[in-house]
Amino acid sequence: MRKEVLIVDDEPAIRRLLVSALDRSGITHAEAANAGEGLRLAAVEPPPLVALLDLGLPDRDGLEIVPQLAGLGLSVIVLTARDATDEKVAALDLGADDFVTKPFDSEELLARVRSALRRKAGPLATAHTREFDEGMIDRESHRVVLRGEHIELTPREFNLLWALADRPGRVVTHESLLETVWGPAHRRDLDYLRVAVRSLRRKMELDPSSPRLLINEPGVGYRLAAPEAEGLKGSR
Amino acid sequence: MNHGQPDRDAERFLKLAQSEERGRLTVYLGAAPGVGKTYRMLQDAARRLADGLDVVVGVAETHGRSETAALLEPLEVLPRHAVEYEGHRLEEFDIDAALERRPQLILVDELAHTNVPGSRHPKRWQDVAELLVAGIDVATTINIQHIESLNDVVAGFTHIRVRETVPDSILDKAELIVVDLPPEALIERLEAGKVYLPDTAGRALANFFTPTKLAALREMALRFAARSVDRRLADRLEIGGEKTSLAAGDRLMVAVSPGKGGARVVRQAKRIADMVHAPWTAVVVESGSARGIRGGQREQLADNLALASSLGASLMTVAATDVGQALVDQAEELGASQIVIGKSRRSRWFEWRHGSIAQDVIRKARGVAVHVVPLDEADEKPERVLDPHPYRDPGLALILVGATVALIQALGGWISPSAVDLLLLLPVIASATLLRMSGAIWSAIWAALAYNFFFTEPYHTLDIYSTADVVTFMVLAVVASVIGALAGRVRRQAQTSAGVARLNAALARFAGLMGGLSDHEETARVACREIGSLLDVEAIIVALEGDCVNVRGNPNHTRLDMVDEAAARWALEKGESTGRDTGTLNASDWQFHPLKTALGTMGALGIARASQQRVIRPDDATLLASLVDQTALAHERLVLEAEARQVDTLRERDRLRGALLGSIAHDLRTPLTAIIAAAEAVPAEGAFAEEVRIARSESRRLQRFLNDLLEASRIEHGTIEPRWESVDLTDVINAVLRDLRQDCPGARVKTAIDADCQLVRTDPVLLRHVLINLIDNALKFSPPDSKVTVELECNEATATCRVLDRGPGLPAEREALFDRFHRLEGGDRVGGSGLGLWIAKNFTEAIGGAISAANREGGGATFAVALPAGGTAPGKGRSENA
Repeated sequence: MRKEVLIVDDEPAIRRLLVSALDRSGITHAEAANAGEGLRLAAVEPPPLVALLDLGLPDRDGLEIVPQLAGLGLSVIVLTARDATDEKVAALDLGADDFVTKPFDSEELLARVRSALRRKAGPLATAHTREFDEGMIDRESHRVVLRGEHIELTPREFNLLWALADRPGRVVTHESLLETVWGPAHRRDLDYLRVAVRSLRRKMELDPSSPRLLINEPGVGYRLAAPEAEGLKGSR
Repeated sequence: MNHGQPDRDAERFLKLAQSEERGRLTVYLGAAPGVGKTYRMLQDAARRLADGLDVVVGVAETHGRSETAALLEPLEVLPRHAVEYEGHRLEEFDIDAALERRPQLILVDELAHTNVPGSRHPKRWQDVAELLVAGIDVATTINIQHIESLNDVVAGFTHIRVRETVPDSILDKAELIVVDLPPEALIERLEAGKVYLPDTAGRALANFFTPTKLAALREMALRFAARSVDRRLADRLEIGGEKTSLAAGDRLMVAVSPGKGGARVVRQAKRIADMVHAPWTAVVVESGSARGIRGGQREQLADNLALASSLGASLMTVAATDVGQALVDQAEELGASQIVIGKSRRSRWFEWRHGSIAQDVIRKARGVAVHVVPLDEADEKPERVLDPHPYRDPGLALILVGATVALIQALGGWISPSAVDLLLLLPVIASATLLRMSGAIWSAIWAALAYNFFFTEPYHTLDIYSTADVVTFMVLAVVASVIGALAGRVRRQAQTSAGVARLNAALARFAGLMGGLSDHEETARVACREIGSLLDVEAIIVALEGDCVNVRGNPNHTRLDMVDEAAARWALEKGESTGRDTGTLNASDWQFHPLKTALGTMGALGIARASQQRVIRPDDATLLASLVDQTALAHERLVLEAEARQVDTLRERDRLRGALLGSIAHDLRTPLTAIIAAAEAVPAEGAFAEEVRIARSESRRLQRFLNDLLEASRIEHGTIEPRWESVDLTDVINAVLRDLRQDCPGARVKTAIDADCQLVRTDPVLLRHVLINLIDNALKFSPPDSKVTVELECNEATATCRVLDRGPGLPAEREALFDRFHRLEGGDRVGGSGLGLWIAKNFTEAIGGAISAANREGGGATFAVALPAGGTAPGKGRSENA
């Protein structure tokens, strides 16, 4: 029988905690205490859908197995320390889907897991539309609807919003946004991104000084709030 | 400032600093006896005394003149110290009494005076030098002809050589006052009997007092004083940063030869060097040729080098066959722009045959000024060195030639007559190889004569009939002489280079041995053993331990007697060579050389020899200097190694502490993560709602505490490296509030953000920590019903984040606010690590910002972090993290 979530963590207490939380929500799971076991359990048929991966593993650096797990079709959620911005960026670059900072709140963690499972279950949106909290973006008709109203965006703002909406609720790194929207030559021109985000916020946020849609993860990237239905409340 | 020569600048500063600390020397300089130096000195002293200065007379020669004696009246005169010498009772200046009395200014007449043997110093100028070192000002007198570098010049036109001379170096630091009297007036005074002349030298000295000579001496005195003033001015100007020397980067090189001529050249070089303000180097070329240095000349050469050294030259010896070329090469290597060299007045014929080194140097030198000092033949070869065995070489050569003749006779008809002349070359070659140059020449003479006597008709006479035999005889004579000369030269060169090689090997071996030792005791023992056997002396190492002079390194000598100990102590404390054959405390059996290093004097090497000869032969002086240096270096290395080990230990301890802290914090973090997650998972409701809330808030507090510890250890280890990127401060503040809602769900924080604030370049992670710590601090001190406000305000120059609370406000002692483990009054009540504000301050400074605190109107405190707006990261380019 398919296990929905694979837990890879060497700390028994954390594993027990995660197991208990998943059990409460009725999500099936498998457990691994190191990278080798994790990879073995990820390779079974049918493979798990989501991996909860701790990066500090006894046998290998957790970052090393991120691309392998992603390659096997798993959606990888990395457990990391709050300050470890390098680690977060690296994990996202290597194909991780999302991260949760330790110490974590189990409710938030469960929300992330459910959201990932839902994405695995099938696209919520059509090929040319994406939904986000309180809004929708349509690439074909080049339209953005927010709180029931159309808003006018410049082509650059539109592309930026699309790049974020393509992964709703999840962090997209600064570099990846700059590369997609401005091109590879501008991967380090963070000023461009900051200015564009600011103008987007002015058009989209109710209070631009306290944004709830376009959330920054300092040193890592931006996240566009996912639709309410996915259980990601506000700025969390 | 001249960046090219920081060392020279430093040296100059040091010189000035020393001259401030040491006593000041005032010298009354006269052109001749009788100009009134002592009189003038006493007059000045009386005035100084009236000014309230503590003035004492050490020595003042009144020479029975009543007006001079009258000047002594108001002054305190130190009693002289009586010395018995060869049955006479002589009175000398009492230096110990002077040091004991310690006046501010002491008068010591006649600087050039030679002390009675057995005094502390052989010369009075050395007494004066000691007084100056002790910080006592000294006034003294001298006549121009007693100054070392002018000695020759004066002797040149007065034909009187003064033996008592004073090195120029002591006058370098002195204030010179020229006591001037026109020659006519001086002669009048002389005729009136007002000038004292010692009986013995009376007639000779009277030769001084002709108007022309006195005029010349007077001019010299004035010029000397002018140069001294000029030099002191230059010293000060250079320290002030103005390069005024005409000869910037100039260096002078002098070629030193043995004999009195060499000494004259050295003195002349000193005067030129002084005039152009240039450092100078004395160079000796070891050529190994017939005209090189031999036998007793070595001693004279060593004396001339010592003279150069005492006049302030650095010394250098090079080995080469072509003396002229070697000098030119050396000048180039030293960067010397001027060469001083002596040239004897010899016949053209002599020069044509032997060449002249001076001519050679002039021809080869490019872009270098050559000063040629003319020398008399008498100067060049002052003392003929007598060969102790004058007949040995001709005798041995005669025996060799005789043996060859006997062999040819014995072989008789076996050899053709034409081979005879070839065979007679054999003894010439043999003696050239075995004997000295003269042996080779003698055997050439004997061989030619033997050929003539035994093998040409008529036999057994010195007549020659046949023209062919005459030619053979002459060819034989020439070939024999040339072979002899060549072979002799080759052999001497081989000896010279073998000597140099031996010396180098000995030094290399010594340095190798010294490098491998690991403690002072062993180093001293090996150094003494090796130096003892290399120089054939007894060696010890002395060092100061507390106040005692400790002797080590030689089991045969473990104690010093009183005189020896005084000499050792002097060497250790003053860093000068002392004892036997030196200028200081030469009654000691030992000669002490300080082991000087950059760290100070490490000790002193003492050497002694049982016989009455000099402890160190002049040609061993260089070797000894090298050995002393090596020994000093070995001791210095040990000290440095010990220090390095200590630093290593400290650093290792520090590293361990950091690692321990890191690992503890990490180990605590993991279970804490589980505890927090578990506490969050339990719903805070029902009967245990309060307990769950306590578990949650206390575990979060513990976590913050742990983070503080980790961050503090990062600050202490200096591992904070900001990662600069373009940052929207709104993002940072919102991220902080998000963390806060997660960590302290009940926190009451409101914001007032200027959304139009420009972007700043900073490290968002460090800034986030700063704000979290400030908000945390504000929350701790806020009353439960008040709110903490976070503000962002920008102007063109700065972006300022403020955290405001309604707590009790700042304590009285604000300086300590941002110190480690400082807690505001009543801090115990609110808890915390006491590190929060300290971390905030350090992180703020790391990102180039400024943190400040003030009391808020209406109660409470404001903490502000000001960041340079639009500021570029110091020294860094763009973000690595974007």
